[in-house]
Amino acid sequence: MKKTISTLYIALVMLFLYLPIAALIVLSFNESKSMANFSGFSLQWYEELFRSRMLMQAVGNTFSIAIISSVAATVIGTLAVLGLSNMKKKSQDIILAANNIPMLNADIVTGLSLMLCFIMLRLPLGYGTILFAHITFSIPYVVLSVRPRLNRNTDRLFEAALDLGASRGYAFRKIVLPELKPGILSGFLLAFTMSVDDFIITYFNKGEGINTISTIIYSQVKVGIRPSLFALSTIIFVVAFAALIVVNRNSDRNEVAFNL
Amino acid sequence: MAELIRLDNISKSYGDNEVLDELTLTVEENQFVTLLGPSGCGKTTTLRIIGGFEKPDQGRVYFDGKDITDLPPNMRPLNTVFQNYALFPHMTVGENIAFGLKVSGKSDQYIKDKVKYALKLVNLKGFENRKITQLSGGQQQRIAMARAIVNEPKVLLLDEPLGALDLKLRQEMQYELVRLKKELGITFIYVTHDQEEALTMSDKVVVMNDGYIQQEGTPEQIYNEPENAFVADFIGDSNIIPGRMVEDRLVEIKGVKFPCIDGTENGFRPGQRVDVVIRPEDIEIRPYGEGLFNGTITSKLFIGVHYEMLVKQEGGKFEWLLQNYDEHQVGSEIGMYVRPENIQIMHKPQSDDEKRMNLEI
Amino acid sequence: MASRKWASPFIIWIIAGTVIPILSIFYYGFTTRDGGFTFDNVTAVFTHDHMQALGLSLGLAFASTIVCLIIAFPMAMILRDSKFGKEGFMIFVFILPMWMNFLLRTMAWQVLLERAGVINSILAIFGLPPQQLMNTPGAIILGMVYDFLPFMILPIYNTVCKIDSNLIEAAYDLGASKMTVYARVIIPLTVPGIVSGITMVFIPALTTFVISNMLGGGKINLIGNIIEQEFTVNSNWYLGSGLSLVMMIFIIASMLILNKFDKTGGQALI
Repeated sequence: MKKTISTLYIALVMLFLYLPIAALIVLSFNESKSMANFSGFSLQWYEELFRSRMLMQAVGNTFSIAIISSVAATVIGTLAVLGLSNMKKKSQDIILAANNIPMLNADIVTGLSLMLCFIMLRLPLGYGTILFAHITFSIPYVVLSVRPRLNRNTDRLFEAALDLGASRGYAFRKIVLPELKPGILSGFLLAFTMSVDDFIITYFNKGEGINTISTIIYSQVKVGIRPSLFALSTIIFVVAFAALIVVNRNSDRNEVAFNL
Repeated sequence: MAELIRLDNISKSYGDNEVLDELTLTVEENQFVTLLGPSGCGKTTTLRIIGGFEKPDQGRVYFDGKDITDLPPNMRPLNTVFQNYALFPHMTVGENIAFGLKVSGKSDQYIKDKVKYALKLVNLKGFENRKITQLSGGQQQRIAMARAIVNEPKVLLLDEPLGALDLKLRQEMQYELVRLKKELGITFIYVTHDQEEALTMSDKVVVMNDGYIQQEGTPEQIYNEPENAFVADFIGDSNIIPGRMVEDRLVEIKGVKFPCIDGTENGFRPGQRVDVVIRPEDIEIRPYGEGLFNGTITSKLFIGVHYEMLVKQEGGKFEWLLQNYDEHQVGSEIGMYVRPENIQIMHKPQSDDEKRMNLEI
Repeated sequence: MASRKWASPFIIWIIAGTVIPILSIFYYGFTTRDGGFTFDNVTAVFTHDHMQALGLSLGLAFASTIVCLIIAFPMAMILRDSKFGKEGFMIFVFILPMWMNFLLRTMAWQVLLERAGVINSILAIFGLPPQQLMNTPGAIILGMVYDFLPFMILPIYNTVCKIDSNLIEAAYDLGASKMTVYARVIIPLTVPGIVSGITMVFIPALTTFVISNMLGGGKINLIGNIIEQEFTVNSNWYLGSGLSLVMMIFIIASMLILNKFDKTGGQALI
């Protein structure tokens, strides 16, 4: 009895989570533009999607920004964790408090505050400013996932390597980096997904003439959704599904997934 | 025996906390030296200074006559077995042991043979491809040993290597360590807070507290002739009681006069206040009235080989700790006797540092 | 192991990307158009329209947080006991929608709720009249719950999983009823997860302008919408910054209140 209720409950929540996605997937194969009736199977919206330069450019921008910003944030964040470990506790606390601001603050404020600065400095809003903003909000996530990996245990392993005759550089590459690797990897993935998923901060810092997936959806919602967006949703869902399976396979007991 | 390591006048502080205060210590070749003391006494810091992981604020470290104070750890001809082992978790057992040899550029064949030999030496033949996480605590301990000795260091530093093991394994490993040391013929410097470990294995025990060396000597010297109340209290159960010299070879404790073997010739003048150590196993039980003093047994505990008893002194409040192979009932009145040579008389602590030793004197 | 210098790019980035931008919000928030000092931009929140938007934001954020909590807690408990949870399969199921773009997810509800949308066409099959589902506060709460529910489930699930079963068995052993075990053992131990879940739902819900725009059809103004419009439509950075400061006060206040309950300092997520 208890089990039945539990299963029913899970089923209801699943339905809630996946019904809208399922609707998008079904409608992406619809022959007509209707959002209510499925009149017949067709791939025309996929064709429209791939023919649309604007949509394809937005997809390209989204992923190039995500890759560049998450790589940069991972490098800066990882170096930061290593450098911070040599500082006094008090300076560490102050810097980490500042590091937490973009994570705790509302995205709208983070986005607007950056926009204000760019305009004050007369920097034209565009690809560069989006990139800067994405690196800014990604770094804290990298710092937060790498920092717990660097602890007294890592110090001891480093010392053990020195004790066995390794130079500092060798010990760092062969012992410390492999120890930090899971944290670096999950920090990178977090930064990447945050960047792909971001709308608000991009919206305020993008300027005219450049779009990401998020901003193009937002602008289309205002003028009327075309089913080519459903096709895009379906593709993103399939890619996310595949990516998550790969990530979970490669990490022990979905360590990465838990960190989201 | 030749001097191998000398610590000369070493001081070290972390902020306001002075961990070592002008410590001087010599280690001879092929010795098993144990640094023994409670946590925070400075023993691990001393080891880390020898290993090169800490720089002393003041003082020099000499190895074989050469000043190595400024040499980084990877240039020092010694290896460490770390507390909790510090085995590299992402490498196999074989890769862990081979690490030092690879760094020093040995040939693959040499490394392979050497790893095999080291595993045999620690009784873990054929463990090359195991993962570290698959090993038990005792096995990890052995691998940590193998990883260090495979580099043929002149000195092996061991930082509480048995601390994480259970009692039975710890006792087994004590024999192993002594055997290994004999086979390798190198110097061991061993850090522990376990007095039994120190007494069992060492050639020389260095008792430390508050950044000072309290006493150094053979295990027998440390146990039988503690130099002050701290050492006496730290090494084994003891009755440590304040007393007063009455005359040469006679000391008064708790109103009872005990014949002893000390006097003016080793610095104890009549009338002087002293501390006296009487080991619980040195108090002999006699029929009532036939010893030096009498008392009533207030509690009794069987602890394996012998009984441990608390005996309340007649006409006083003081309770003596006794150990005896024979069983005596709680409540019975007994006489007690101590041979003069079993009465260890010590000077009262004088310096501030010794007063801080938190002993009820 | 590493040099302190390695942190310098990070420190420069924090100063340029976080500290200075926040300070400029403060600057504009307390400045008039001709450069004088003023409190007007901040006190402007007390005008009728702004108060109404703020009140509505708080109400909707509060409601959606409660709904998320009510759905998430039993879910976390079921997952803890089921073998699915341990296999990581169910967690996978909850994370997957999070990897979909957040605007696409919101758009999906628009497709369902539209006047000529999926739900109304299903109603029509049963001969029921079409309902006004879009552009209502209910639609916005629904969107918020849908978008943020995983952020509530995951931290609670993480803390619930860390509870030692021995503690629960010990409570039963000491004669506690099922109710008592929940009230005195499980829920108190789950507080850190609940707190980070609430933080991760309440703050984005309070500050959103996207969900209200997409599911409210521009007819429902939250405080986020007002701030957005001040910057993008009215180009009044001064007022927009002042209202942003007010919003930040609410964020800080809600975090202070929540931290009072969580003595572990919000470590449940990582």
